[in-house]
Amino acid sequence: MNVRVLGLPAVATALVGGVLAVQVAYGGGSFEPLRPADPCAARTVVSHSEGIEALTERLVLIAVDRAACRLDVTREAFLLDVADGGTRTDAEIDALREGLHDAVRQMKTDGSLPPASDLVDEALDSADLNGFLEAVIRALPDSAIDAALETDDVLDRAIDDLDLRALLGDLDAQADLEARVEVAVGEAVKDSLVARVQGLV
Amino acid sequence: MRRAVAPLLAVTVALVLADSAVVTLALPDILLHLDTTVSQVAWVLISFNLVLGLVAVPTAWAFTRTQPRILSALGIAVFAGASAWCAVAPSIEVLILARCVQALGGALALLGCLELLVAEYGERRGVAAWVTAGVVGTATGPVVGGLLTEAISWQAIFVVQVPIAVLAVPAALAVRMAPAPTDRHRPALLPNLTLALLSAALTAALFLLVLLLVDGWGRSAATAAITVSVVPLAALAAGPLARLLRPSEGVETAVGCFLVAGGLVGLAIPPSAHLAWTIAPQALVGLGLGLTVDRLTARAMHLRLPRVEHAGWTIGARHVGVMVGLAILTPVFTADLQDAQVPAQEAITSLVLDAPLPAQDKVTLARALGDELTDQRGQVPDLHRAFAAADLAPSSRPAADALERDLDSQLERAATRAFRDSFLLGGALALLALVSSLAGLAAPRVRRAA
Repeated sequence: MNVRVLGLPAVATALVGGVLAVQVAYGGGSFEPLRPADPCAARTVVSHSEGIEALTERLVLIAVDRAACRLDVTREAFLLDVADGGTRTDAEIDALREGLHDAVRQMKTDGSLPPASDLVDEALDSADLNGFLEAVIRALPDSAIDAALETDDVLDRAIDDLDLRALLGDLDAQADLEARVEVAVGEAVKDSLVARVQGLV
Repeated sequence: MRRAVAPLLAVTVALVLADSAVVTLALPDILLHLDTTVSQVAWVLISFNLVLGLVAVPTAWAFTRTQPRILSALGIAVFAGASAWCAVAPSIEVLILARCVQALGGALALLGCLELLVAEYGERRGVAAWVTAGVVGTATGPVVGGLLTEAISWQAIFVVQVPIAVLAVPAALAVRMAPAPTDRHRPALLPNLTLALLSAALTAALFLLVLLLVDGWGRSAATAAITVSVVPLAALAAGPLARLLRPSEGVETAVGCFLVAGGLVGLAIPPSAHLAWTIAPQALVGLGLGLTVDRLTARAMHLRLPRVEHAGWTIGARHVGVMVGLAILTPVFTADLQDAQVPAQEAITSLVLDAPLPAQDKVTLARALGDELTDQRGQVPDLHRAFAAADLAPSSRPAADALERDLDSQLERAATRAFRDSFLLGGALALLALVSSLAGLAAPRVRRAA
């Protein structure tokens, strides 16, 4: 009687319990997509690029985190929203600009902002300058360039001059933001140097 | 020839019930070949079950007024003709229409074969052969359909049915029938209700698992077919297990429902997208199927007359159950799949941003991935094309390959998560079947006490 009534239920309970226990023990139930990190929490930002590209990548990654934190969304949601196109709100534009300034300040504080002299050659390579002017700038010693130009000043000016609304309205993909900012930074370095040299002359 | 009659009729029963889910793994091929939409192609599956569920009982009434062997032979012939029509259907509309005709013929064939098998084998053995053939057909349908689709084409599913059905027509006509008794009994409500609820739950197990394997985890139809063959194999083990422990009929069906529910919960929470993690939950579902469907069908028909009418109720209950399962589960998993896009895109964005790649390569990949995601909106995208097309530096390839693996894993995770609620809902349907089964256990005692 007992075996007839309880035998099969006991075997079934053991089988179901065993299968579910093994699955849960191996992570069943948590096999889910990666959850985006809190943008307000500190994040180590590393770049595998060099020169202005590396500087810009780090700037943008930090800036996007800060902007997302201000807007109370994840950096991924913010970037996907930006990449989707459409009109950007003033709050989004302001958050991103402030984020970029925050990034400059953070990089200056942690000493990861390169001296301006590190960026000169690359900025001149991509610039269409008068040959004489370019030769003069290239001839300047690094110490003279670093004394004349503070990287954070150059970057802050570049960020202020950026037309973020136009830039964000014309992105092909979220990573495009880095490419656009990189161009602006390169331009800013070049323009600052040219202005200084012309001032000296 | 005489000895082949009953086996041919049993195979016909298995064929008709296999048709309920035989096209599940062929749907992607049909979608491409007939250039149709996802919602239309689903009707290739839905139409057959809907028509079979609706016409089963009216067809049974027809059998109580006509010569079963003539109607059976006619039904099998219609089924064979409609199967051939399905194979040559030039458009989705024609295929759906042919499937409806196939279900009409199938209903006549199914119920007629019951009467003919009883005439051949006697009441007990005939009903048992009919019930067993139905369970085998239901359980093996997706496996056979998937293998035929992968090995030959989706049309082969229908072509192979034609000669078997054609041979069964003279077999049906060869059966000598005794006059049927004229007594009438009311339908067995609780066994049929349990059967309907369980069929809805089994729809989740077979239909959703196949979708998860093929569309969610990107496996081939053949791999999916071999994987889901665990269900019919485990169903075969149910008989020896029941004989070993000798439970009462009520306990057996209740435990079967519990096993199906447990298996569906297991399918809802795999620890990874490795196929091995589906085997044990499928084995639970298969054991549950083997313990329940034949028992419930036999109980719904036990000593009830006219036999064919009560068989019609069981067929109707099972296929209405399949329809209810599809009606409840499809919108849930479709909406969940839609909702899964956002977390999947965020996970992909996060991994691309943090990938150990130069910024320029990230830009290139982000553009290619964006295009791929846009092109495949509504389906799980194939990211490999984006990686293959991206013009990356050779030194970046190892990191890009690692990123591709990580992104594929994220897609698998998102798809698995999207199917979770549907599997759990299927598990809840199996628990409802358990409640209905327990109510069926209590009912005779109440009557006896009264």
